[in-house]
Amino acid sequence: MSRLLPLLVGLIVLALWETSVRLMQVPVFVLPPPSLIAEALMTDGPQLLDALLETLKLTVAAFAASFLGGLALAVLFVQSRLIERSLLPYAVVLQVTPIVAIAPLIVIWVGVDHVERAVFILATIVAFFPILSNASFGLRSVDPGLADLFRLYRATGWQRLWLLQLPSALPALLAGARISAGLALIGTVVAEFVAGSGEATGLAWRIVESANRLEIPRMFAALLLLSLTGLALNAVIVQIEHRLLRRWHSGHGEAA
Amino acid sequence: MLVLDGIAMRYPGGLAAIDRVDLRIEDGSFTSIVGPSGCGKSTLLRLIAGLASPSAGAITGRPDGAVGLVFQDATLMPWADVENNVYLPLRLARVSRAEAKPRIAEALALVGLSDFAQAYPRALSGGMRMRVAIARAIVTRPRLLLMDEPFAALDEITRNKLNDDLLRLWREQEITTIFVTHSVFESVYLSTDIAIMSPRPGRIMARHAVSGPAIRDADFRATQPYLDACRAVSRDLERAMAVAV
Ligand SMILES: Nc1ncnc2c1ncn2[C@@H]1O[C@H](COP(=O)(O)OP(=O)(O)OP(=O)(O)O)[C@@H](O)[C@H]1O
Ligand SMILES: [Mg+2]
Repeated sequence: MSRLLPLLVGLIVLALWETSVRLMQVPVFVLPPPSLIAEALMTDGPQLLDALLETLKLTVAAFAASFLGGLALAVLFVQSRLIERSLLPYAVVLQVTPIVAIAPLIVIWVGVDHVERAVFILATIVAFFPILSNASFGLRSVDPGLADLFRLYRATGWQRLWLLQLPSALPALLAGARISAGLALIGTVVAEFVAGSGEATGLAWRIVESANRLEIPRMFAALLLLSLTGLALNAVIVQIEHRLLRRWHSGHGEAA
Repeated sequence: MLVLDGIAMRYPGGLAAIDRVDLRIEDGSFTSIVGPSGCGKSTLLRLIAGLASPSAGAITGRPDGAVGLVFQDATLMPWADVENNVYLPLRLARVSRAEAKPRIAEALALVGLSDFAQAYPRALSGGMRMRVAIARAIVTRPRLLLMDEPFAALDEITRNKLNDDLLRLWREQEITTIFVTHSVFESVYLSTDIAIMSPRPGRIMARHAVSGPAIRDADFRATQPYLDACRAVSRDLERAMAVAV
């Protein structure tokens, strides 16, 4: 029942949207009715899905890169305060600089012939920080009693990392991954917008293109695909989170 | 014999937690340390375990090999099942899982948790978690077992049951045991020796030997030696408390 409720709300909204747009004769280039969007989805679907696949590839690559990079850097930070103090400011600089502002630079450096490389780098920069900060926090949030126990049994640094710090960090790391996956998608789309030109193949460029040609239903169809992708990404990570944590995290009980 | 010679411990910031503690602990004895909150009992155990080093004095006669340590809360790894929690000390000593299996099974049998090897900590009661912690502490077959108020958070019935389990373990394994508690009754029931500490900075104010039957059970609580010992320890504890003021 609780699953059906959002669906029902959606259907009602769609019906209201359709009737009011038709009754008030809103021009299609301002707000197309859902039926036209569905039509666009049918006709332009294959082309849009191709574009979506491009965007998704870059999103997943950027997410994977930021996950591995963020985690590796966090592990390094936890080993040594000195490394953390010398590198963290630069990570923060990257984090607070709007990517729209660095995009032209990255495009000049790597993207003149390979837009997708520039998009990948920009999206990685955007998605990187939540992993870094959540992993650092998680790696440090070790139960002091367990830390004592590892010391008592003379655990090596590797043993402490593998058997204590990484498992302790898992909930925070996964929470960071969820944020980061969303940001990777947003970052990819934004980067496609700013870095893209005629040759860009991602979904963002299809949106720009549709807007330029006033093909608004097609634009809405692309938007819809983008939202669904974001939802799907989120759902995948929530599933992984649930699988990994249900045994020991009170918020992820088997009953839930 | 474990000998603590003039042990003092000052935390950074200048706070003296314990001051000139002299203590001799016979092999195979069961020694309880009783004292008011904040007198440095946990600090003393950490020093004996080697988790901190004293600012003065020396500890000699620590047995070879790992020391078993049980904290006030069970301190289990929530992401690992009971078996893997108990395996931890052996794993850290690079004992293979195949080799460890029988020893884990033995330790779990000793605490009566053989049927729960695959359970996760959050599915266990407080008393069961404590028993997992005890199994983990004894799986390396330590010659010295340190326990820091292990049963303080448990109800009396569970606590009495675990007290009996612990005594059986101590008898069968002949583990020298040092047991920190707030409870005079618990200390008398369990111990061959009791050390009473003063408020901070902690010092040993009195020692008591408890004579009792070789195998103690609930009946022991009704005997004259038990009642006498309880009275004597309570009196000395009150005296120790008065010293500070
Ligand atoms: N890490 C620390 N840094 C500074 N002071 C500490 C630290 N740990 C303990 N102390 C201080 O040392 C004193 C002794 O602490 P300890 O934990 O050994 O007492 P305790 O006898 O175990 O108390 P309780 O019965 O409440 O567990 C306390 O006054 C405490 O404030
Ligand atoms: Mg204590």
